Amino acid sequence: MKRFAFFPGCLIPARHPAMEFAIRTTLEKLEIEIVDLEGTSCCPDPIYFKSKDKVSWLSVAARNLCLAEDLGLDIFTNCSGCTATLSETYHLLQDEEIRDRVNERLARIGREYRGTSRVRHIATLVRDEVGYEAVKNSVVRPLEGLKVAIHYGCHLLKPSRIMQVDSPDDPQVLERLVEAIGATPVRHANWYLCCGKACQNEDIPNKMMHDLLSTVNDEHADLLGMICPTCFGQFDHGQMKIAKLYEEDFSTPPVYYFQLLAFAQGVPYENLGFERQRFKPVALKKFEGAAVG
Amino acid sequence: MSADQPDVVRVDFAFKRELAQKIEGNLANYCYQCGACVGDCPATRYSVAFNPREIMLKVLYGLEDELLGEHSVLWECTNCYTCHERCPQEVKPVEVIISLKNMLADRGLAPTAADKVVRTFMTSGRTVPDNPAIDKQRAKYGLPPLKPVPMDEIRALLGVDEEEGGDS
Repeated sequence: MKRFAFFPGCLIPARHPAMEFAIRTTLEKLEIEIVDLEGTSCCPDPIYFKSKDKVSWLSVAARNLCLAEDLGLDIFTNCSGCTATLSETYHLLQDEEIRDRVNERLARIGREYRGTSRVRHIATLVRDEVGYEAVKNSVVRPLEGLKVAIHYGCHLLKPSRIMQVDSPDDPQVLERLVEAIGATPVRHANWYLCCGKACQNEDIPNKMMHDLLSTVNDEHADLLGMICPTCFGQFDHGQMKIAKLYEEDFSTPPVYYFQLLAFAQGVPYENLGFERQRFKPVALKKFEGAAVG
Repeated sequence: MSADQPDVVRVDFAFKRELAQKIEGNLANYCYQCGACVGDCPATRYSVAFNPREIMLKVLYGLEDELLGEHSVLWECTNCYTCHERCPQEVKPVEVIISLKNMLADRGLAPTAADKVVRTFMTSGRTVPDNPAIDKQRAKYGLPPLKPVPMDEIRALLGVDEEEGGDS
């Protein structure tokens, strides 16, 4: 088993424990050993916290990275926001002057950032350490015929020089992961749009989500697959608001990829917390009768 | 600091020095106004007020009054990082914008959402504070309760630091 330190962040463990359950269940089947970190805090969030004070933001993030360095392990994240914060920190602290500024802060708590633990998003961890073929082999009920519109969100891919995940103009990782569970990935016309959560203006994200959901709808996708809990919140709660505002009902359930994988690996629908979603991925139910071997 | 003659733009160097103190705040100096940041900017697509090229131009001139007021247009940025991706000069317009937001925060002009996140973080070390209902939900999935964050370390790390945010 390959071992990696798990950075759970805030949103998934507190708001979406079913996602954490799915991560733990699926990674075990893919022979990744999760090492829980002691004493992690918020990453901290790359939007509001960073907008208040970049040096404090870097210092808290560097402390989180130190916890993985102490164990001599790479760290993996399950949220695009945490990935952005920790990857940017890893990148920025390669600059000696910035690293010194942050290490002055860390010295107050007897810590020092060294830059020895790499940051990986769970999607790339699975791509690079497990491989699509092994994901496919772990599936007991392939989701054949299920059309999954892909939502990358922003921070998994950009800035690509720092994130080093995939091409931001023609990414493949989520498409291949969706294919590995037997489903059909769909790239809709507005696939590159942002969820808008970080914008402090209501009008912009409303219009953006409306346009994004319309092109998902044009493709007759069964659901919108994603890997970020912030995007998920926007498209679940947020979709109610959009439906009212525009008097259009797209009814596109958002699903976090690892819940989809858990389902394909045989975890029953009712164990995956879908009942808590505003828009439930009922299209999955037709696969429940499929042989679970 | 307004110019006596309204037609003459005076570069405000004090503003630019303050911005340069912020991490990656000085990168706008490399901007040659090509506009590559504009084409794929989702905020520009949906808002007439937001244009990253114009924001970089205002930074070059040091037009503090147009950038750092109440209800600044900077908060319309969606933080999507596409401009960072597109810029041929590695200006990272989004990082310059976030540095400007740090200056807004220093002036007490951060939006309530940002203040709230930082306040929650300062009390719990999280952006979603722990509570018994969360742990009950977690137990349903066989997950242990959330562990407390060592707040003594967090507070020491964030203790008021004179060297940051000043105009040195």
